Amino acid sequence: MAELIYTPAYGSYDFGPEHPFSPVRQQMAVDLLVSLGHRPHWTEPEPATRADILTVHDEAYVAVVEAVSAGESVPDLESWGLGTPDTPAVPGIDPAVRALVGGTLAGARLLSEGRATRVLQFGGGLHHARAARAAGFCVYNDLAVAIRHLTANGLWVSYLDIDVHHGDGVQAIFYRDERVQTISLHESGQYLYPGTGEIHELGEGMGRGLKINLPLEPFTPGESYLEVFEQVVPPALQAFRPQVLVVQAGADAHFDDALADLALTTQDYERLFRRILELADALTGGRVLFTLGGGYSLHAASRVWAILYLVVNDLPVPETIPPAWAEKWAAHLGGKPAATLHDPSPAFPPLARRDEIVSRNRLVATRLLDALAPYWF
Amino acid sequence: MLVRDIMTTAVITIGPEATLGHVCEVMQARNIRHLPVLEGGRLVGVITDRDVHGGSTKLCFTPSQPEGLVRDAMAHPPKTAHPLDPVEDAARTMRALKIGCLPVLDGENLVGIVTGIDLLDALLRLTGVDKASGRLELRLADRPGGLARLTALIAERQLNIHSILTYPEGTGLVRAVLRVNTLETRPLAEALRGAGFEVMWPAEKPWRS
Repeated sequence: MAELIYTPAYGSYDFGPEHPFSPVRQQMAVDLLVSLGHRPHWTEPEPATRADILTVHDEAYVAVVEAVSAGESVPDLESWGLGTPDTPAVPGIDPAVRALVGGTLAGARLLSEGRATRVLQFGGGLHHARAARAAGFCVYNDLAVAIRHLTANGLWVSYLDIDVHHGDGVQAIFYRDERVQTISLHESGQYLYPGTGEIHELGEGMGRGLKINLPLEPFTPGESYLEVFEQVVPPALQAFRPQVLVVQAGADAHFDDALADLALTTQDYERLFRRILELADALTGGRVLFTLGGGYSLHAASRVWAILYLVVNDLPVPETIPPAWAEKWAAHLGGKPAATLHDPSPAFPPLARRDEIVSRNRLVATRLLDALAPYWF
Repeated sequence: MLVRDIMTTAVITIGPEATLGHVCEVMQARNIRHLPVLEGGRLVGVITDRDVHGGSTKLCFTPSQPEGLVRDAMAHPPKTAHPLDPVEDAARTMRALKIGCLPVLDGENLVGIVTGIDLLDALLRLTGVDKASGRLELRLADRPGGLARLTALIAERQLNIHSILTYPEGTGLVRAVLRVNTLETRPLAEALRGAGFEVMWPAEKPWRS
């Protein structure tokens, strides 16, 4: 069983109907669970306080977000990463994002107080936000606030980021921190936003060797993804021996994603979630906090996150989705068939470059392990 | 980008009467390969690690001894650069002569040195990512207005271009690589294709084509 953290207030983190980071994504996933006959019971978190936000973010930046949120005009807004097409300056954004941060922080508190081992925060994952800058749909960094709470309570944290984009904000905030290991698997920055996450980014000072990046080739299929995950992630976790695992479970590595190019299926995601739980059980006494993240195919993200809920709760993953769900959300499904939780097998025709992709990912994983070897002894 | 933007200003130098053995020690201790040779404050030559290798093998055409003098082994007169030279001029000179460094002279004064490593640093700066951004790669016709039309379309969408790199590709074509402050490069690529641009990246997904 897992604790579920959610509140309809998450829906207020909304940049408008044309923006891909839509709260409809969680709503569809929750409704999918209901239509599968579940009655998800969730704890409604308190919003994060200003003091909570300031554990990670600069006060000057927080003041800018508050001003924007109150509808005031701020000079040179773009230098704070706000007022851009990706992260527009919308009124009410401060309480909206504090609701999400509050959820992830509530999850961290459940773990630090020993009141739960598995927690699923059904929102958040704003991994691009920097200490003093918004970026890539992310205003405050809920993950960093939660991780800071955990380390302040004496816990060593491994942060695992399976969003298709590099977890640059979390990495930057903890780049010199010896209590936080960050591991990000993502489509290579050579091809995808934010452009960073190369294998040579290893951390600095006491944090050296604890920031781990596995950049993957565009169109990487699930088989190759899971192979290099296995090559890198278990030994990395074993080397660091964290007490808590924090997982940003973006659903945008799915092949149907509108903004990226990896090629995982919902079956691959299910395998990945089960493997992460196994690793948590083996290494952190089962303590794991999952958040959501990117995911810009509503068709894929709603199913990936419904599967995440089922897997963390040790519930069976059924094949069939009742037709009523697809009818209800037809406008968001883009005419794609949504009769099953799993994708068709095969989900897409064979990739012409498949062998090249597989061997290139293996090579990058090997180079990464070589770069890390001096720190692991 | 000018030579003064990439050169190393704390230059380590040596005198013409120093021995090659001493040169070798300095190079190993400071982990460098090139030493400008100064005599009375004026640049008179350059000595490189290759010049002192003569002392380490009998196979060398011009063997030298550890007690040999810099004056007899150095390259002179040295090729030099000026701080206001464009970096590409320095690169072209070094490439043409296949040499590893250019001392930088402002008048008679040695003010810096540019090595191959500084040029690699410059390349990393030109191609690197210093702000979170998405990558866009296009093939443009090498005609007036192509890049202007492209950047105008990007500006219309309120996007900021962090960097542009272009290079010729065959005849009549230019490859342009842009870094743009958005995660949504796929929708942007679609819009640009709609406007008649040949977008190389993001590519169409193979299972959709």
